[in-house]
This record gives sequence, structure tokens and C-alpha cells, in this order.
Amino acid sequence: MFYLKRLQEHQKIFQRSKFWLGIFIVVLLCIILISIPPTLSQQPVVLNLLMTAPDAQPWKQFLIKDFEEKNPGIRINLIEGPNATNLLEDLYTSAFILGDSPYDLINMDVIWTPKFAAAGWLLDLSDRMTQQELAAFSPKDVEGGRVGGKLYRIPMRSDVGVLYSRKDLLKQAGFQPPETFSDLLKISLALQQQRKVNWGYVWQGRQYEGLAAMFVEVLEGFGGFWVNPNTLEVGLDRPETLQAIAFLKETVAKGISPPGVTTYIEEDTRRFFQSGQAAFLRSWPYVWPLANAADSPIKGKIAIQPMVSNALKTGGSCLGGWGLGIAKSTKHPEEAWKAIQYFTSEQAQRQFILSAGYVPSRRSLFTDPEIVAKFPYYPKLLEIEDKAILRPPIAQYDQASDILQRYLSAALTNRIAPESAMKAAAAETRMLLKTRGSRE
Amino acid sequence: MTNLQTIRHREQQTAWIFLLPALLLLLFVFGYPIARAFWLSLFTQNLGTQLQPVFSGLDNYLRMAGDGRFWQSFWTTIILTISTVSLEILLGLGIALVLNQQFFCRGVVRTIAILPWALPTALIALAWAWIFNDQFGVANDILLRLGLIKTGINWLGEPTLALIALIFADVWKTTPFVSILLLAGLQSISSDLYEAHAIDGATSWQSFYKITLPLLMPQILIAILFRFAQAFGVFDLVAVMTGGGPGGATEVVSLYIYSTVMRYLDFGYGSALVVVTFLLLIAGVAIASFLLNKSRLSKGNT
Amino acid sequence: MTVIPSGNLQTTTPAKNYGTNILRWGAIAFVVIFCLAPVMWQVLTSFKVNQDIAAVPTIYFPGRITLNHYIELFNRRPFWRYIFNSAFVSIVSTAFSLALGAPAAYALARLRPWGGRVILAGILIVTLFPGILLFLGLLEIIQRLHLGNNYLSLIIPYTAINLPLTILVLRSFFEQLPKDLEDAARVDGYNTLQMLVQILLPMTIPALVTTGILTFIFAWNEFIFALTFITREEMKTIPVGAAQLGGASGFEIPYGPIAAATIVGTLPLVVLVLFFQRKIIQGLSAGAVKG
Repeated sequence: MFYLKRLQEHQKIFQRSKFWLGIFIVVLLCIILISIPPTLSQQPVVLNLLMTAPDAQPWKQFLIKDFEEKNPGIRINLIEGPNATNLLEDLYTSAFILGDSPYDLINMDVIWTPKFAAAGWLLDLSDRMTQQELAAFSPKDVEGGRVGGKLYRIPMRSDVGVLYSRKDLLKQAGFQPPETFSDLLKISLALQQQRKVNWGYVWQGRQYEGLAAMFVEVLEGFGGFWVNPNTLEVGLDRPETLQAIAFLKETVAKGISPPGVTTYIEEDTRRFFQSGQAAFLRSWPYVWPLANAADSPIKGKIAIQPMVSNALKTGGSCLGGWGLGIAKSTKHPEEAWKAIQYFTSEQAQRQFILSAGYVPSRRSLFTDPEIVAKFPYYPKLLEIEDKAILRPPIAQYDQASDILQRYLSAALTNRIAPESAMKAAAAETRMLLKTRGSRE
Repeated sequence: MTNLQTIRHREQQTAWIFLLPALLLLLFVFGYPIARAFWLSLFTQNLGTQLQPVFSGLDNYLRMAGDGRFWQSFWTTIILTISTVSLEILLGLGIALVLNQQFFCRGVVRTIAILPWALPTALIALAWAWIFNDQFGVANDILLRLGLIKTGINWLGEPTLALIALIFADVWKTTPFVSILLLAGLQSISSDLYEAHAIDGATSWQSFYKITLPLLMPQILIAILFRFAQAFGVFDLVAVMTGGGPGGATEVVSLYIYSTVMRYLDFGYGSALVVVTFLLLIAGVAIASFLLNKSRLSKGNT
Repeated sequence: MTVIPSGNLQTTTPAKNYGTNILRWGAIAFVVIFCLAPVMWQVLTSFKVNQDIAAVPTIYFPGRITLNHYIELFNRRPFWRYIFNSAFVSIVSTAFSLALGAPAAYALARLRPWGGRVILAGILIVTLFPGILLFLGLLEIIQRLHLGNNYLSLIIPYTAINLPLTILVLRSFFEQLPKDLEDAARVDGYNTLQMLVQILLPMTIPALVTTGILTFIFAWNEFIFALTFITREEMKTIPVGAAQLGGASGFEIPYGPIAAATIVGTLPLVVLVLFFQRKIIQGLSAGAVKG
């Protein structure tokens, strides 16, 4: 019968495949056994630390080696993450969300601390440092690491928004450094009219976190506020906010800022300023060494100052920077604390700053002679940092920032009228923060 | 008669024993999350509530009504879905017609035709992001060499252009799926029909309209149905190629849901978003299958 | 371009034949170039030196090639582990999916269970659910069961997601099998289980292979669950690992290693498609046409 023959063929195939199946299973088992990591018994304590790949270089080169030498028995496993910091935050969040975190030391941007703390992922460090020890750091920086009165983050690298100016042009034209917004506009226009520069003032206007950082400074300068962290009051639909937006729009409307400024991020603005096209730049301290490099057209011609304000207020500078915390789920909190103490200690920071050019978090180092010799603008930076302002340290900062970014960007690019944009932004932010259930 | 009953009974028993494990798993992985989303959407559970669930009724849905970002992402998803599905049906049909021919190396060409669909979307997204790179990308290079543009286009930095790049990449990636479906349909059309039609003096175009298209309609509708559901939930391509950028211009609904949960830890609101997306998807599918049924009925009449 | 499957009537004149031939080969060339170009471009990029990658205008045929990107890829990241993880998860979930799906498909095809129509409709509908609808519920379960960074957190969802396709394809296959074979076997004294394992199973191996390949491809390519449920470096799968490659400096995206990762990550699939092209097409069409 036809079926019989087919049957026999298939049974032969089946026998053969049973054989191959057996081999396959044995191979699979071997692979599994090999890949199960060997049980650790006498291994040193390993602390996992995540940071962006470019930031990791100085750490790999000496910081970690130094620490491990001084602390045998503790190893730091440095994991290089993606370059974009918001992707790094996502990595942390997705790691923490699963329950056990693979990271022991948490390298945090200042705006992440409230979120991580509110989610219960960070260890309370309040008892580990005395008031005296904390006074060694900038007060606002420490405050950025506090949530609900408890300390979760020790500052390691600071960052603060500053206003750069072309002091050579100002001197030539006989101007004093600007103190108010109107000063800034006036001087810019004058310099532009005298054809000293193409543009007056350049800032970051693209829809990203940097926009929020830049905006809080202008907002502070007009006496407005974004979200009050204590009362959760939203100040986006107040007149001061509209004044702030009006100022920014004015810079473009009057031709003081290039129209493309609403697509610029830090590097775009730096290149702009460094090529001598603008008189004023709002950015971060990292620009200084680059702008004073040997091949820079504006070498030696720049000055640094806090951001301007209106006549009644003082200028606001947005605080950025990184700090270290400890994961609540870590198995080695003591060793992690040792690591933090080392990395935020004066000698480690000194080495760090001198080689990589980062801004310190310890106040003493800003005026340290060895460091000032290399970075003469640091004492000025300390002044600015002591008066810095924080972006609202609320747990839902990410969402609030996203709302502000979207509506602000729409207002700045003339897609929506500023008033309706801020009204909508305030409404959405209120709706967002209202969701605290029984608290209201 | 009792014998037949017992045999049937035993058949039923065996059948259900065979079905049960699979059904349980399906219920668990597909049914539970949807049900859970419906339930959790009635609660507020986010960083403001210390990640504890607090009952809040329909608050989340009210919030969604005023959520500009949700409606923007919804609109973007609709645009993306309609563009890609229509382009894919047209292109897929063309490719299927070509692949249906007999020619030398047909097997090789078919292999090549399936390739885009078989590759990991995330890796392909990386490849396309590189092609559309504004400084070093091939897309700009080709356009420059052809003299169609003067300076490099910033594809992924402009909202509309980024969307176009996404559509391009998505069409490239999933057209093979459509072509294979339509190819199967083409192969099931008996050649006698064409022969008879040709004998009656019809040209190939007439054969196409009178025979191919009507007989292929069920397959086309199935393809549209599947592709619609897939495109509505597109995640991999957008997440890796543009990340929802620039400035949220290419953010699709799935990306927004993902951000809401994984970045903002807003679980209650995220659930509400899932529920609404699910209902919209069901609505779309219901409409499509209704049309499919109608076409099947009308085909039965010819 | 004719729609008549050729090999039939040649009612056209030789001149017209020539014209349609040109069109046909033009169309074929278009299909080949369209489908291969991006992949070929990544292959090229993966072998180009960094300067050539960043060269403007673009260099299409590099004068010098390097294997550095591949070496860098394996040095910088545990890419061997990624490959293993992807392979392991894909193979195991495929095995489970076949093991659960084949009996279910047989039941639906042959045993006509009560409610079979409803089950089938349900399975069809479930195929349409995008992963984003499921990931929140699954995430909660994984959190509670502490299954994060565990292979199971991927294997179970993948098995479930592949089940509908498995069931549909195998069901259409089972329906095509001649009933007489089973009847003859029963007459010969086999009971149901014996009949299934010793007679039916060998005959379904082609279909199992086909379905297995499809499910393997889906599992290998899956992204959103792999992104969410696995965060430890050593356990990541290839799509996630490749998408998260970092650069050496702040403003450099490592295009070279990314291209290399793309090639390494897609090579197994290309090989699969190369060898099993016919089966893949069969499987997909069986699943869709009959469904």
C-alpha cells in the first residue's frame, strides 16, 4: 500500500531525527552548564557603577585604580552606558523597576534624585555625613540631593549655567557687563550695529531638557517660578512667565539671536560663540577651556558672569551636575559608602579636575591655587554656584519638564500664542501634580 | 447510538486536554495584562503616590482628554499607519506579481525578497538611521549626486522629514510580509481562469482587473488587517530610529505608553492609555473584518 | 508584465515578448536592489575605516578595509553572550511553542472540540495584539515573581506570542493530511497517543520545521520585552545590546561597530532564510490563507 511505504520512510526519518535530537539536547545541556557562572566564594566585593562612556575615561584611567589600591577587597566594575544622559536615566529606571538593581553606586544627574528617592530606590545617607562635612559642598548642590528632608546624594561634579561675554568687545565699545535683561539687549544691539558681531546673544532653544534649564534662569530673573516644590503650586500661567517668554522671543524678533536658536543645543551655541559670531552666550562652564584653546579665535577674550535679571531681582543660574548615591538594594552598602567618601574626597577630586577639567563640588577646590592656576575662572564660578537655583525638585519632574518643553518650544517657534501655551501647560501640570490621590 | 456518543465524548476530552495548556498560556499572557490594564486604569499609581495605588475612578481618562501629547501621538500613529499600509499594499502587490512569474533564479530572488522582513527591526532601524544621517548618510549623498538637493537634508531633525524617513524604513521592512500573503493568494488562483479569459480575447490588464483583483481581495483585506494592527502598535522601529524625536514629533502611541510607564513610572495613567489604545485597535479591527466579511459574501455571489 | 503564470499559452508576438521580458527583469532588478541595498550598505560600513565612514561625499567602494569594528564590538561588549542569549531564548521558546501548539492544532483540526470556532476566532484576534498592550501587566507579574533578568521572563511571553501562528499553521497542515491514514492506523490497533507520536509526528516534521523557523525568527527579533525585562549586560539579547552601543567620546556614535553588530545579529537569520526560503513562504501563506 502506498501509505505503508510513506510510513516506513517517515519512520526512518523519525529514527534519524531522534538521534540528532539527542545530540542537540546534550549539546544544549553542555552550553547551559558552561554558562552558569561559577559560585562565588572568595571573590572581592564588587561595586557596580554606571556612567556614560565619555565620562568613564578619567575614571578608568586613574580614579578607580587608585581607589582599588587603597581598598583591596573592593573592586569597582565600571559599566559604560549610552552617551545621552536621558538614555542613562532610562537604563537606571528600567534596571530598578525590575526589582533588584545591578548597580550599587548610583551616579545621578541632579534632577534624577527626587524621582529615584520617591520611587524608593535610594539609600538614606542623612546620618553618614555631619553638617560640618556637608558644609564643604555648595549649599544648593547639597539641597539638590535632599528629598523630604533626607539626603540621598553626595555631590561629585558640579555644573551651573553661566553667561559668557566678549569682554574685549565690551571694553572697546565702552560698556559695563550687563546686569539686566534690557542691558543685554541694548548692548547686543549696539555691538551689532557697530558691526563688531553678527549676532548679540545666543542660547539653547531646542525642545529638550536644556531648554528647561535655560528657561528657569530667565524665569527667576523675572521673579517667576515654575513649580513650588513645597506646595506644588504651578506658576506657569503667571505674568512673570509670559514676560520671560516675551524676552526670549524679543531676542529673535529684534535680530539679536539667530532664528535657528530654537534648534540649538549646547554644542551648536558653543561653536557659534567660539567662531566669534556672537557677543553673549548662555551655557555651561565646559565652554571656557575650549574657547580659550590655542586654536580658538576668541582665546583670552571672554568673561564669565551670572545670568542677568530684571531690575528688581538677581540673576538665576541653573544648577546641574552629578553626584553619587547608593542603591537601596545593594548588598554592600558599607563598601559603597567608602567608595563615595573616596570619590568625593578632596585629593580624588583634585586629580579628577586637573586631568579632566570638570567643575568640582567641594568649595575649597574652587579657590585652590593649583586649580586656579589652570582654571582662573573657578573662583567666579563658586560665587555663581552659591546663588544657583534648582529646577523643581519634585518626584514627577520628568513629566513636568516634558510639558514645559513642549509648550515653551511651541510658543518660541510661534506655533501657539504664549498665553494659551502657558495656560495649557499650567493646566496639564496641575492635572499631573494633582494626582496624589488622598493628599489633595 | 451510545457508542457514538462515548466516542465523541472521548474525542472532546482528548481535544480539550490537548488545547488546555496552550489556551491557559494564551489567557495568561494575553488576557491577564489587558484585564489588569482595565482595572489599574481606575487607580492613580505614580511617583506622586509613592508608587502606591490610590483609587481615583475615571480621573485618568479625564486627564487623557486634556493631554496634548496623547492626541499628538495618536495623530502621528494614524498618519504613519495609513501611509505605510497603503504603500505596502501597492508595493507588495507589485512584488507578489513579479515573484509569481517563472524565471531563472526565482528561488534566490524570493529569498532576497523575504530578507527585510526576517531581520531584527531594531538593527534595521539602526541601519536606516545611518542611511538618513544628515552628515554622512547615503540618502543625502544620492540626492546630492542626482542634483536634486543642494545641501544635506537633516532627515531625522525635522518633524515631517523624520516621519517620511520612518515611513520609508517601515515600508521596506514589512512589504515582504504583504508580498508573501498576496503571493500565496496569487498561487491559489487557478491558471485555467486566465487561459479561459485569454481565449476570450482579454489583455493582461483586463485579466488583472477582472480576475486577479477580485479573487485576491480576501488576501488583500487580510493583509490590511494584519498590517493595520501591527502598524498601530509599532514600537521597535520608531524607538530605535528616532526615539520619538525630534522633540516628540514622531512619537507614536506605543512610545508614549512606554515612556509613561518606564520613564515616568505613572502606572495608573499608563494603564488608561493601554485601555484606550486597545479599544481603538479593536474598533479598527472590527471595521476591517466587517469589510472582509462583506467582500467574502459578495465574492460568493460572483 | 503579464499576470498569466508563464509556461502556458504564448499568444504574444516575439517583439512584445522582448518588451515584457525587459519589464520583468527590470522589476526583478528593482526588487533585488530595493531589498538588498540597506543590508549591503551596512556590510560595507562595517568594514570601512572610520575616516572613510565619515567621508563626504560618501565612499561606496572603500580602498581599505578593516576588521577593527568587529573586534571592537566583541571587546567592548559581551557580544558573545548576546548571541548566546538570543539563541537560547529563541530555541527554547520555539521548542515550547511547538510542544504546546502542535497538540492544540491537532485538536482543532481533527477532534472538533466544542467551542472550536470561538477558540479559533480568539486565537486570530489575539495575533493582532501589539506587545505594548501586554508589557505593563507582564512587567507587574515579573516584578512580583522576581523574574527580572531571568531567561524565563522572555521565554514565556515569546512562547505565548508564537502560539497563535504555530497553531494556525499546524492546524492548516493537519487539515491537509489524509484522514485515511489515521483511520487505517486505528484499524491496525494503534491508540490515539501511539498514533500521534509514531505515525502523525514523522509526517508533520516538515510543518514543524517550517513553524519552528518562523517562531525562531520572531523570538530572535523581538525587542520591547527584551528591552524591558532584561537589564543585566550579560543577559541582553542582540537587538537590545546593539541598540545600546555607546561611543568613545561624547559626540561620537559608533557607526562602525553598530554596522558590525547589525551584520553579526542578522547573519543567523540570513542563513536561515537562505536555506529555508520555500518553507518560510509556505508557512506564512498557510497561516494566513487558511486563517
